[in-house]
Amino acid sequence: MDHVVTCGACATIAEEDSRFCEHCGTPLGAPAPAAAAATAVAVVVPDEPTAAPVCRACGGTIAADGYCENCGEPAVDERDHWSELPSALVGGVCDRGRRKTRNEDAMALGLSGPTAVLVVCDGVSNVPDSDIASLTAARAARDVLVTGSAGSTVGAWSALLVTAAAAADQAIADAVGDTTDRVEPPSCTFVAAVVDGPTVVAGWLGDSRVYWLPDEGVAHQVSVDDSAANEMIARGVPRAKAEASREGHAITRWLGPDAETVVPGTGTTRTQGPGWVLACSDGLWNYCSEATDVADLLHRTIAQVGNAPDVIAAELVRWANEQGGHDNITAALARVAAPVDTVHTGDTGHAVPVDPASSAR
Amino acid sequence: MADFRTEVFQNEFLSDGATDVHAIVTVTSSGAGTAAASSGGVAEIVIIDTSGSMSGPNIDAAKYAAQVAVDQIADGTWFSVIGGSHVANRAFPYPNAPVAIVQMEPGAREEAKRAISYMRPSGGTAMSTWLRLADAIFAEVPQVAQKHAILLTDGRNESEPRGELSSAIRAVTGHFQCDARGVGSSWEVAELREIATALLGTVDLIRNPADIAADFKALVNESMSKGVADAELRVWAPQGAQVLFVRQVAPTVEDITARRTEVNALTGAYPTGAWGDESRDYHVAIRVPSKPVGSEQLAARVQIAVGGDVLASGLVKARWSDDSSLTARINPEVAHYTGQAELASVIQEGLAAKASGDEATATVKLGRAVQLAAETGNEEATSRLRRVVEIDDEEQGTVRLKRNTDKLDEMALDTASTKTTRVRR
Repeated sequence: MDHVVTCGACATIAEEDSRFCEHCGTPLGAPAPAAAAATAVAVVVPDEPTAAPVCRACGGTIAADGYCENCGEPAVDERDHWSELPSALVGGVCDRGRRKTRNEDAMALGLSGPTAVLVVCDGVSNVPDSDIASLTAARAARDVLVTGSAGSTVGAWSALLVTAAAAADQAIADAVGDTTDRVEPPSCTFVAAVVDGPTVVAGWLGDSRVYWLPDEGVAHQVSVDDSAANEMIARGVPRAKAEASREGHAITRWLGPDAETVVPGTGTTRTQGPGWVLACSDGLWNYCSEATDVADLLHRTIAQVGNAPDVIAAELVRWANEQGGHDNITAALARVAAPVDTVHTGDTGHAVPVDPASSAR
Repeated sequence: MADFRTEVFQNEFLSDGATDVHAIVTVTSSGAGTAAASSGGVAEIVIIDTSGSMSGPNIDAAKYAAQVAVDQIADGTWFSVIGGSHVANRAFPYPNAPVAIVQMEPGAREEAKRAISYMRPSGGTAMSTWLRLADAIFAEVPQVAQKHAILLTDGRNESEPRGELSSAIRAVTGHFQCDARGVGSSWEVAELREIATALLGTVDLIRNPADIAADFKALVNESMSKGVADAELRVWAPQGAQVLFVRQVAPTVEDITARRTEVNALTGAYPTGAWGDESRDYHVAIRVPSKPVGSEQLAARVQIAVGGDVLASGLVKARWSDDSSLTARINPEVAHYTGQAELASVIQEGLAAKASGDEATATVKLGRAVQLAAETGNEEATSRLRRVVEIDDEEQGTVRLKRNTDKLDEMALDTASTKTTRVRR
C-alpha cells in the first residue's frame, strides 16, 4: 500500500505530519479511507462538513486556508473531533486532545433494537495509519454487534464480542494492506460494551476501559486492562504507581497484524438500579482512573450539563483537555434505565425501560 | 497581470505562556511587465533644485541629467519638469502653456530639453513648494495609476520652517512616489529621508555631479519597469491580537506600522507602491493571547493585494509547546533582519550623536553598528563604517571615532544605513 498522503482537493503530495495541504490549504486525511466504508446504522456526525465550515472555538467561518477568519483557530478535521448520538440514551465524543498532532482514537456507537453498542479503539501512538486502523476496527466491530445476538444471553453476547474483535482485526488488515515491510504495523486497542437491559457485557484487548457507574451504589471497572501496569499491580505494586510508571502503559494484547491473539477478554455486570456505562480510552482515565473517582466526575458533570449522553461526553473530553489533553480522548456513554416492574406493552410481554430522568419531567 | 507569491520564515513554536510571534515574509512578483503596459499609464515629474547654491557645475550637471531623464521617458508617458527654489516653477510644459502635463512624443521631448537648458539658478530652498506643485500637476491626470517623481537638491531646506516641509509631505503622501537625491555635502539626509520614506521612494547621495545623469537614467528606467502600479500589503491578525509592528526589511528597512489603513476590523493595509519583477521582505510581529501547550493558532495572514484583490497570502502560525528544543530555536531570517534593523537605527543615532558633539554616545552606537554589521554579514556597511571609525575589535564592537572624517563619508553611511543584505541561504 502506498503511504504517501495526497491532498483530496488538488492532489499535491503532502509533507509528513502536515494537517493541511501546503498548496491549497485543504485539511488532509478527510475523509479517511475507513470513513468511506458504508455503515449499516445511521451515525449522527453533526460536524459533517456540508455547509461552510464553522469554527469550533468562536463560531466564525473557516477560510479556505484552514483557519478561522475571526480567531485564527485551525479548522477541526472531522477525524480530530466528532460526536455520535444514535439515541437519546447513547452518545459519545472522540477528540484529538491538545498534545497529539493526530487523533488515533476512534469510536463507533450503535443500537441493536433497545440494546446499546459502544466500541472504542485507541491506535498505537505515532505509528503510520494507526488512526485508520482504529476507526476501521471500531466500525467493523460495531457493525457486527448491531446485528444482535440470538437469545440475548450473556453467552451469546460474549461469543458475538469475539466475532466482532475478529472482524475488527480483519478490517485493519484489509484497510492497511501488506505490512510485512513495516517496522511497526498499525495496531489499536479494542473495547466494546453491549448494554442489554440491565446486563452489561464487555470485551477488550488492551487498556481501553468499560466502567459501570451506577447513580447510587459502588462503581467498578467491568474490563480488566491487558497492560504491564496490571501485571505490576498483580505483583503488588500500588495501582497509582503502576499506572504512572513509564512501562505501565505498555499493553500486552491488541488488534493488528502483529497481534498474537485477537480473542478479547470478556466480563459481565448485572446492574442493580439505574446508572451509566462508560467506554473510554486512556486519554480520559489517565486523569481519573479509580472507578469511584470516575463516578464522582460523571455525577459532577451531569449536575452541570444535564443528562444528554453526547453533552456529558463532550464535557468529560473538555475536562480531560483541561487536565492537559496529553493523549487522544474518547468517552462513550450508554444509559441503563431503572428497572420498572412489569410495564407491559401489548402482547410482547417485555419491560420497556424507563429513564428516571425523562419520567421525572 | 503579475504573479505574486509569498514565503514565510518563522519558528512557529512558542513556549508555555509566550505571546509574541515573529515572521519574515518574502513577497516576490514575476511577470509584472512594464509600466507602459499597465492600465492607466504612467506620469513622471522631474524636480531640479534651481536655488542659487546650485550655480556652477551642479546646475550644469543637473540640467544635463534632467535631459537624460527626459530621453529615457517612454512615448505616451505623462511628464512635466519643475525647477525648485524658495518657490516652485514649472519649467515644462512652459509656464504659459494651457496644460500642466503632457504626454511624451518626439516633439515634446526636444522642447522639454530646450526648456531645461533655459533653467537658471537663483533664490533659496523651500521644498514644500516643490512637492505641492508636483502634487497639483499630478492631480491633472487622475486617470493615471502610477505617478512617480525624482527630486534633486544640493542644499538644506533653509527658506521655510521645518514643519512646513513635514506638513507638505503629509499632504501629498499616497498621491505619488518620489525618489530623493542629494548632490554634494550641503544637504540634509534627514530631510530627504523624510520625503523618500513617506513617498515610498529611495534616498541617496550623489558624490560627484557628473554621476547625476547615470542615476536619473537608472531611476527613470526603474520606474518604467514597474508594471504593477500600486500594491498593498495586508496583515490580518486574529480577534484579540495586536500587531506589534510591520517592517519592510529588504531591500531597505522601513517601519511601515503607522501607514496602516483599515480593510476591516482584523485586517490592515499598508501601501507598498509600484512593483516590478522583484522581491521584498517584511518582518511582521504579532502579540496573541497565550494558549495551552499543544494548541495551534493562526497568528497572521500576510497578503499582497492589487486593486482590492488578494493575489497571494502567507500564513504565520503559533504552536505552543513544552519541548524547549523546538521553542528555543531562533529563526535565522528573523534574527538576521532584527539585527539589520537595529544596525540601521544605531548608525543613524550614532551619527546624530556625533553631529551634536556627544562623542561617548556616538562611540557606543557606532561600535554596536560595527558589531551588528559583522554579525549579519553586511560587508558594505562595515566598509562604510570604517571610513568613520577606527575598529579595534569588530566582535566586541570596540571603536574609536576618526578625526577629520570626510563629511561625504558620514552622509554616505547615513543614507545607506537602511540598506540591508539578505540572509545567506
